[in-house]
Amino acid sequence: MNVSVESTLPADPVAADALIGIPRQQTNASRWQGEQWADFVQALQQQDVEIRQQCADTGIYLTDAGGLAHGMPHGVVVAASAGQIAALMQAAQRFAVPVTVRGGGLTTEGESVAFGGVLLDMTGMSRVLHVDKSGLIVRTQAGIFWHHLAEVLRRDDLDYISAPLNLSSSVGGTLGVGGIDVNSARYGCSADQAVSLQVVTPTGEIVECSDRENSELFERIILGYGQFGIITEASLHIRPYTPLRMHYFYYASLQPCVEDLLMLDASHACDYTGILTMMDTAITLLVAFDSDQREAEFMATVKAQLRGYGEWGFGLRLAAGFIWRPWRWREALFLLRRKRELFPDLQPDMHMHDGKMYDRTVVFSRAVWKHWGDRHMVIPDLATNRDKFVEAVERGNAVCRKYFPCYTLYCVGIRLRDEHKAHYELSSIPPDAEGWAYGCEFEPMYNGVAYSRDYLQSFKNEIYDVGVELETSYYRFGGMMKGYIRRALGDAVVEKHLQLKQQADPAMVLNRDVIF
Amino acid sequence: MRSVDVVIVGASLAAAAAAKRLVDAGLETVIVEKQLLPRHKICSGILSPRGHRFLLENFGALPRKVLHEPTACRGVTFHFPSMVSMSMDFFGGTTPHLHRKHADHWAIEQSGAEVMDDTSFLGQVQCDDHVVVSARKRGGETFELKARYLIGADGPVSPVLRSLYPDYHKQIPMFFVGQKFHEIIDCPLDEAYFHFWFHPDLGHYTWSHARDGRQIVGVGYKVGQKFHDRHLYVAKYFEEKHGVRLKPADDDHEGCSENFGPSLINRYVFGKGRVLITGQATGFLNMIGEGMSCALHSGAIAGESVVDAMLRNQPVQEIYRRNIASEVRRTTDQWNPLQIAFARPHEADFPKALAALPMADRIRVMRDIWSFLKLYKEFKWGRQIAGLSMQRLLRGDYSRKNWL
Ligand SMILES: Cc1cc2nc3c(=O)[nH]c(=O)nc-3n(C[C@H](O)[C@H](O)[C@H](O)COP(=O)(O)OP(=O)(O)OC[C@H]3O[C@@H](n4cnc5c(N)ncnc54)[C@H](O)[C@@H]3O)c2cc1C
Ligand SMILES: Cc1cc2nc3c(=O)[nH]c(=O)nc-3n(C[C@H](O)[C@H](O)[C@H](O)COP(=O)(O)OP(=O)(O)OC[C@H]3O[C@@H](n4cnc5c(N)ncnc54)[C@H](O)[C@@H]3O)c2cc1C
Repeated sequence: MNVSVESTLPADPVAADALIGIPRQQTNASRWQGEQWADFVQALQQQDVEIRQQCADTGIYLTDAGGLAHGMPHGVVVAASAGQIAALMQAAQRFAVPVTVRGGGLTTEGESVAFGGVLLDMTGMSRVLHVDKSGLIVRTQAGIFWHHLAEVLRRDDLDYISAPLNLSSSVGGTLGVGGIDVNSARYGCSADQAVSLQVVTPTGEIVECSDRENSELFERIILGYGQFGIITEASLHIRPYTPLRMHYFYYASLQPCVEDLLMLDASHACDYTGILTMMDTAITLLVAFDSDQREAEFMATVKAQLRGYGEWGFGLRLAAGFIWRPWRWREALFLLRRKRELFPDLQPDMHMHDGKMYDRTVVFSRAVWKHWGDRHMVIPDLATNRDKFVEAVERGNAVCRKYFPCYTLYCVGIRLRDEHKAHYELSSIPPDAEGWAYGCEFEPMYNGVAYSRDYLQSFKNEIYDVGVELETSYYRFGGMMKGYIRRALGDAVVEKHLQLKQQADPAMVLNRDVIF
Repeated sequence: MRSVDVVIVGASLAAAAAAKRLVDAGLETVIVEKQLLPRHKICSGILSPRGHRFLLENFGALPRKVLHEPTACRGVTFHFPSMVSMSMDFFGGTTPHLHRKHADHWAIEQSGAEVMDDTSFLGQVQCDDHVVVSARKRGGETFELKARYLIGADGPVSPVLRSLYPDYHKQIPMFFVGQKFHEIIDCPLDEAYFHFWFHPDLGHYTWSHARDGRQIVGVGYKVGQKFHDRHLYVAKYFEEKHGVRLKPADDDHEGCSENFGPSLINRYVFGKGRVLITGQATGFLNMIGEGMSCALHSGAIAGESVVDAMLRNQPVQEIYRRNIASEVRRTTDQWNPLQIAFARPHEADFPKALAALPMADRIRVMRDIWSFLKLYKEFKWGRQIAGLSMQRLLRGDYSRKNWL
């Protein structure tokens, strides 16, 4: 895959085959040392841009949801308007001060952590500007959390199309990385719902862009990891709100379940699909529908083809499997405990009416943080095409087994839009994927045991190394992952984007340690 | 008195790793180093792949000047008295042959911490919420630094450790290791490998490899014996048994004391109160004396723990000990016979290389290893290692009881 281009990476003086396949690149950013900081601050103050430098203000941004990268900004700017951000970027270019943008800060590789320089907190811009009820389009400031947006839309019985299952991820942060929901196999990634954006470029111009207007900028911004501009406002497609009709099927091994997921997505029979596991022993296929009609169609046609069991049937089967294997009883106890704790939270009474789930985002996000969340969110993933997916899941699963007694896998599909191919170029979408891309997230559960950052990093490295061998991609690939980007996408693509970046951001100050 | 967040003693790899974490997190960090930088450090310089990866991930591509010739090492070759030899390649490709003088200095510079070199740590006094560190620049006056935390990354004879536990070094066996450099007449030892001898007559630790056109002959033994005699004996053995023909050693020979042992029996020292010990000073040393990768990783964990402690306002020792457990597992596993037999704790595959030998050689090797191990009998580690192996098997972890 490595097309020969003049690479900006230095030649490796150690040996050609040292650390096979790992480019010689620093992935833990180095701290910016504060050259010209005082002049920069003065220039901003003259334009009435407030910059907070007290430790109490900067300290809260020390890390991201991943909890592995720690970096302290020199100062914090809370976003107020596109004009203010434009002034900030102009000064940043002039004094070569790095600017790191942060929405919800839900990255896991330190992408939204500032290693010196300015941290721009986008949550200051979180108002919904206009809801077009007939055209089904909303215009909103980009620092808003999806959940807040949903609340505003719900007043008119409307809803966003897709967003990360996470209450505090922001619109801007998500459009930049993709965004995957349990309906992405049907509607595509969250970034696909963007109609047009207001962007502040790295040199401080305010530009509106869409597929029609400034389309090149639009292509770079969507799934662009914040490299080519700061999203300040977004117009998004929306839809009428519907509650969910949920069904679960249970499997005892990964392969049939993953195959069934692929089959379901290809059949277009479900509105929501995903896999959630307890290790590789109890595997749940989740399917859900927006309407009774879709649900009935599924029940009549596709359901019979699934190889999964219902809850009781599966329980009996599992018990029969464990009873002869006393050395695995500890695992069995864990599964039981887990089921007892988790299942009620996936169908909480106050969000269920007539067997339908209201507000899946709240339900799932709460469950995510309550049952998976920890001080370190370590969630490496592999994103592949349909053909490689079973192998990727199984090999990643083997790595999990090696490192942790308990863990979870989470798999979803992402519908690819032919007309958006240009958006996907430097992204998690593997270049060889057609129709759908598939992602599997590998998430250790610590059960009170403390693991060092280095242990967790080794675990991640090993997952990502599987990806390199399979020649595939990843959903999270900023920050500490950047060494893998060249391996996943090849030097040619990375160098092309690097050149574009150098043109757009001459001082290389905007989100500088994420990709390049 | 100047007030800083953290003082690190020793401009070592462990220090660079700790400083990286601290500086990133915006903490004012000062490194105090006894020697003038770049400083010399006796070492074979063979960094394991894990350590190589750490350097790349944290400090970037290695510049050429931090490497000796040959720049890469493919793996390790073990030699036995029965004249069986077995080579093992590192997992994941070749690794760098570091020039410690420049490598350590480069890493320290990359970390972004402030350095006071030519300055010796003299002592520390802990108060409620800070440590007062005293130090002296060569030829200058003693001065004091007030720090929230002190990290001792000052190597095997750690003065910081001694300031906490004055008797500690008397309780553990100290070894002497020394190396001499020879012009080569003829050397059949493959220069792509690091060579190690499991030979009780040669000493506790015997090695050889190529560097910058010369051959290194290294010996290690319990403190108290004579370097030059031991060295001569080994060089003669190499010539007779392996046909290694070398000119007499050049003048630039070197040696130092090593605290070999704590990793074998899980007796690490992590510090007290606001003082953390890290790197080889704690006792971290991998199999065959590879100590740089664990110095880097333990250093990083020490730095990360200080950041954590400040952030959460919690006692740093508790956090450090919790975080360091995984590094302890990794290092002590390397000496755990059950792990060696079943879990591949090293970065090269010993069981596989052994299985590739003919049965008769396999038996010879096992017999030779056994008689080599008897050399260490006097330290009475056997029962402790057996106990630890069971502990690891049953609890999945090593006890923290014996840590200081
Ligand atoms: C527990 C957990 C669960 C998760 N679940 C999911 C999930 O189900 N699906 C999914 O897709 N993801 C998931 N993620 C990942 C995370 O939700 C996404 O990365 C999220 O979209 C990031 O949004 P954010 O607002 O937190 O962005 P941030 O983390 O703040 O930023 C992400 C990146 O975008 C840049 N950026 C932020 N705002 C802007 C802006 N306005 N303009 C330009 N660049 C900007 C930042 O510099 C950074 O590089 C999960 C993460 C966690 C920790
Ligand atoms: C002969 C030999 C060969 C080796 N070969 C290898 C090998 O091939 N691969 C490998 O990985 N490891 C090898 N090691 C081990 C490795 O060198 C050490 O484990 C490693 O250097 C430990 O690093 P450290 O960061 O803990 O401290 P060190 O590198 O020991 O650094 C300690 C620093 O503290 C400074 N210092 C000491 N006292 C004071 C004071 N009072 N004030 C201020 N500063 C002070 C010292 O000057 C020094 O710079 C070898 C060791 C020896 C002796």
